[in-house]
Amino acid sequence: MQLPFRSPVYCFINKMKMNQVKENTAQKDEAKSKKEVVIAIKGLKKSFGEKDVLKDINLELKRSENIVVLGRSGTGKSVTIQCIVGLLKQDGGSLKVFGDEVAEMSDKALKQLRIKIGFLFQSGALYDSMTVRENLEFPLTRVLKLKEQQEIDKRVEEALNSVGLLESIDKLPSDLSGGMRKRAGLARTIIVNPEIILYDEPTTGLDPITSREISDLILSIQKKYKTSSIIITHDMECARIAADRILIMDDGEFIAEGSFEGLHKSNNKTVEAFFKDIL
Amino acid sequence: MAEQIVIPGWKRWLEGIGDQVEFFFKFFRNIFTGGFEWSEFVRQCYEIGYRSMMLVGITSFIMGVVLILQLRPTLVSFGAASMLPKTLAVSFIREIGPVIIAIICAGKIASSIGAELGSMKVTEQLDAMEVSGANPLQYLVVTRILATTIMVPILSVIGDLIGLFGGFLALNLRDDMSYSLYFTKVVASIDFSDFLPAFIKTIFFGFAIGFVGCYKGFHSNKGTESVGIAANSAVVTASLWIFVIDAIAVQITSLLFYK
Repeated sequence: MQLPFRSPVYCFINKMKMNQVKENTAQKDEAKSKKEVVIAIKGLKKSFGEKDVLKDINLELKRSENIVVLGRSGTGKSVTIQCIVGLLKQDGGSLKVFGDEVAEMSDKALKQLRIKIGFLFQSGALYDSMTVRENLEFPLTRVLKLKEQQEIDKRVEEALNSVGLLESIDKLPSDLSGGMRKRAGLARTIIVNPEIILYDEPTTGLDPITSREISDLILSIQKKYKTSSIIITHDMECARIAADRILIMDDGEFIAEGSFEGLHKSNNKTVEAFFKDIL
Repeated sequence: MAEQIVIPGWKRWLEGIGDQVEFFFKFFRNIFTGGFEWSEFVRQCYEIGYRSMMLVGITSFIMGVVLILQLRPTLVSFGAASMLPKTLAVSFIREIGPVIIAIICAGKIASSIGAELGSMKVTEQLDAMEVSGANPLQYLVVTRILATTIMVPILSVIGDLIGLFGGFLALNLRDDMSYSLYFTKVVASIDFSDFLPAFIKTIFFGFAIGFVGCYKGFHSNKGTESVGIAANSAVVTASLWIFVIDAIAVQITSLLFYK
């Protein structure tokens, strides 16, 4: 017989069950999103004239993952990330970002994709005729087409606060030190809330203390904004701090992959060369 | 070891022409697509126009003085000293003013645009703009080319007036010619067909200066040395274009106005 009302015990048990289902679904979604591949590269090739710079690049970057790419100069690290944002056109292979083939994208689609990808250049690449504030406002007004000055100011201040550079908001890039320029560049990169950030040698040319600060900043940005990153560096300390996974590149292809600790124990001579001075 | 392929000079030259044509169409497409960068355009007009005014003014003034001093002995020997204002006005407004002012602008503006965009390329600022999803052509190229296209004719008109005034001062000091007599003769000798073709060709001079400066800067190589090369090459190419455009303009003007 069915009662005309539901007992409090029944309601309590039912509520508990519902909560459990919600929790499980959230956990599954989080696990699923962590497994989601945001960049998938298969057999990527790129040549300049007769020189094959990228021979066979295979890489998968998952959501919220930090990959560090190590390799000697001229092995094709920067070329790889320039292909990802479409600054260079690949000669062969497949390069998919968020499931879409970059080589087949129209100009409009590529522009939309670039909004989701942040790129930090080695020099910071700040527009030197503009102040730090104007540098940060540029992508907001030109790319996101924001009109409200209050919102723009709020986002500029928030981004500069994240990198600890709020006091330099009205300075010109020429008045900033190397480390400050990189931090300003990073602020300009994160201001549009990208889902992926590509770092091209973020600590090169900096003293060890500033390098460590930048490396910590990369890690904190990943945690705060849940970004996925590819970090190209020669700085082993940066790799140790920021990497979830390390890839070693040599002569246009990846020759080793693993965690910092795992690669530290590797017998491969090229890998050993990178880790030999690490205690 | 792979053999290095040497690309013949003529092929590279043709490739360069192709790149310039492509750049030209990209410029036109970007004028009409997307938003126009008014604030940057106004800033460029100020940088290009106002900041070049002093140089153009001084040069034009000296040219006016020098032309009178050079022409005077010859015309006096023919007993045609009264023709001096007319000779100066016609030669200055039709030919000498526009060409010399355009050459000065090529030296100042094309080189500065070439060097600025070249250094932006070297320091990866152009790449940064592109990967951020912004359009560097719209922000940097369209604004600069349109600013030169508008400001060079204005500078040319101002230069003409200052040059004629310089001529008056020289003539006044040598022959005691009055202000009203000089300018009455100048205005009487200038026809619409003298001013209009000259003004129209300065629009093309302005376009050539902006276009060449932007093209050279945008296509410079990545290296500090390339900035100098871009600036130098912008001046040389823009100057050459000015003479080519002038030669074509003279032919067209002769056919239309001075049959």
